[in-house]
Amino acid sequence: MHLFDFPDRLSPMLVKELRQGMRTKAFVGVFLALQIILGVILLSAGAAASSDDAGSTISNIIFIFFSIAVLIIQPMRGISSLSSEVKGNTIDMMVLTRLSAWRIVTGKWASIVSQSALLLVTIIPYLILRYFFGGMNLIGEIIFLAILFLSSAALTAVTVGLSASSSVILRSVLPMIALPIGAYSLLMALMFGAFGGGGMSTFFALDTEESRIFVSIYLAVCAYYGFFMLSTGTSLIAPYAENHSTLRRVISLAVTIITAVLGSMSFTDTEALPFFITLVLLPVFAISLSEFAPLAAPTYRKFAKRGPLGQLAGLFLFPGWASGFFFCLVLTAISAVSFLINRPTYGGSEHFIYGLACLAGLLFPAVIINVFRINGPQRVSHFILILLGSIVLASVLAGITNSLSNKDVLWLFCWIPPVVIFLEEIGSTSNDDVLVCSFIICIIYISTLLLRAFQAYRKSITDIRANSDSE
Amino acid sequence: MSNAAIAVHNLYRFFGPLQAVNGVSFEIPHGSVCGFVGANGAGKTTTMRILASLDYPTMGHAEICGINVTHHPAEVRRLIGWMPDHFGNYDNMTVLEYLDFYARALGYKGAERRQRIDEVMDFTDLVPLADRFSNKLSKGMTQRLCLGRSLLHDPQVLIMDEPAAGLDPRARVELKHLIRVLAKEGKTIFISSHILSELGEMCDSLLFINNGRIVHHGDSESLKKSTDLLGGVLYDVQLDGDPQALSDWAVLQPNIEFLESRKNGGRIRIDTEDPNKAADVLARMVKDNLRVVDFHREQRNLEDAFIDILANLEKNQPALATPPPLPPQASLLPQEPPYDL
Repeated sequence: MHLFDFPDRLSPMLVKELRQGMRTKAFVGVFLALQIILGVILLSAGAAASSDDAGSTISNIIFIFFSIAVLIIQPMRGISSLSSEVKGNTIDMMVLTRLSAWRIVTGKWASIVSQSALLLVTIIPYLILRYFFGGMNLIGEIIFLAILFLSSAALTAVTVGLSASSSVILRSVLPMIALPIGAYSLLMALMFGAFGGGGMSTFFALDTEESRIFVSIYLAVCAYYGFFMLSTGTSLIAPYAENHSTLRRVISLAVTIITAVLGSMSFTDTEALPFFITLVLLPVFAISLSEFAPLAAPTYRKFAKRGPLGQLAGLFLFPGWASGFFFCLVLTAISAVSFLINRPTYGGSEHFIYGLACLAGLLFPAVIINVFRINGPQRVSHFILILLGSIVLASVLAGITNSLSNKDVLWLFCWIPPVVIFLEEIGSTSNDDVLVCSFIICIIYISTLLLRAFQAYRKSITDIRANSDSE
Repeated sequence: MSNAAIAVHNLYRFFGPLQAVNGVSFEIPHGSVCGFVGANGAGKTTTMRILASLDYPTMGHAEICGINVTHHPAEVRRLIGWMPDHFGNYDNMTVLEYLDFYARALGYKGAERRQRIDEVMDFTDLVPLADRFSNKLSKGMTQRLCLGRSLLHDPQVLIMDEPAAGLDPRARVELKHLIRVLAKEGKTIFISSHILSELGEMCDSLLFINNGRIVHHGDSESLKKSTDLLGGVLYDVQLDGDPQALSDWAVLQPNIEFLESRKNGGRIRIDTEDPNKAADVLARMVKDNLRVVDFHREQRNLEDAFIDILANLEKNQPALATPPPLPPQASLLPQEPPYDL
């Protein structure tokens, strides 16, 4: 009996998942297929070794097959990781141990990433053999491989995080469609798009400032989104008494402040700034504005015992969508500062239209959820689906309107925020009208949510106090 | 703070308009076995989940060994073992690995972990199954594995939600035996089941819940013997001939209630314990040309007691038999879809 195959210092969840995962047909199949394919490729390449670019061709083929394994197949294994536990009613049994929901989710993620690491290690002998074909930029190719691996880790975090969702569309259909498309686009962008003509391996050798900035930002985005997706999964499975909101919000506050400072320093193109800020705010808005987390007595007490300051902090950091909304207002205000400082010198209104449309776009799903009183822990799934739906719907409407003679029809749908961006781009009306429209939409959405958030917040505080008094 | 192993005070749990638990209060002393009885949807699982710190009450509070489950869930989790009513097993994981995972998750390390696993496997007779995949076990074996898992940290209180559901007779006997042994070791066991006769044999006390309210709390023997709920004694009557004749005859008799038809007769209730009155009833049957071949007093079983309690509620306290209105300050917390109640 083999109980000491993994050391005690490893997370129990990781041990469990590795024991299970390395026996699955998916892993064994991918492992063997990769070895066979790479072996055959190298043997074939040996026959054509006289060709000048044989080395780079072999590299590209190795990277393509490795990418298929770690950017598509491995992340897809995360699709059912948490849903199988939820369906099997085994989450309850796990949270009664010393495992927190965060450790359960990260253990699942770490297991798949470890198996991807195993795949990475197994292709190293092929890269060593490829070295003898010549023309190899060792550092560049190693960094490129590392970036592929980290991209795989981030994509795995996305699928593992979403796997706790009850929505089959969000949990399975979306990743199954998006992963192959995303992996292909990513690979093409990395291999042929981002190198400024210098070639992949030269670009990733990090010799230029441009490549260093690109790699740094890319890794930061991967880490940030990976964390938020795992955190989303954690919130969906956590028992009520576990508070994951406060730490998540503090981290997002730090990231937003850093982004705002960089934005103020003209770190990015002025026109790209609204979209860059939206990219940073998107995960925290999605989770905070849809968070279904009743305020538990232990969490309330931790804030309450710090007096009025603790109560004030609770207004923004308590679990639940109401305090989440107040927190999002703070993030919006911080982002607005950089937005106002780094505005275009030519005085165009597009900058503000894009900014307001992006803000309204992030608030729109929360408004729908509250107007239709969608409750339950799966509100975050609804948020993401409504957000994606609004973007798709706006694109379709813009496409239809483009084919019509009267383009003002699109104004009927201006309450769907992404439509505002298309209104500005189609250019049938003045930008000032579009700016006023986007401003009004933002005010309406904020007012609606403010009203509901105050009600919900007061109720939860009254409840928790009444319950404490009754004891 | 209560001295009881389990103490529940005025507990409420609402899921939107659904009132799953309505002001439940009870105490279970240390070292006793308490059965939790109720129809599907009565509120058993919700109450048990709150006790196991897996759910939160809308109002009221619950304590395990004097520790509030809402305020100190982590402490409570060290004291309880939880067996849910249904759960899945893991693919590609042996019985030994399954227990090893939970032992690691509970913080056991090295030789101590191995020792705990061995003890639990010995107790639940899982040693021969150590290398079997856990998802290939029979229902009875799976329940033993789940019991083993819940015993790994040697909890003081065991909360078992329908552990005998779906078990074959042999597995049921084995489970009953294990529960008896655990009770002898002094563990407090709170167990829900639909099989009331088995609960009666195992439990020191029984809690009956209906529409989220406790309608009875007492020991099983007193329940079986008691005649005070609807009054009377049960008799099994077998006839030679048409069994319908018995119900037709009983309708016309004062102080006799026909309860149910059986293959060759039926079951009646005579509203007195006086054996002479029972002899009179038998004499009247014979006189009225009923060909009685068997007439004997039946021991009241727990199913009868449970049904009597519900019938009594409907008759005397209809307010308890139907869901009560919402308390004024309730339902303020965010609501979520109901669990399997």
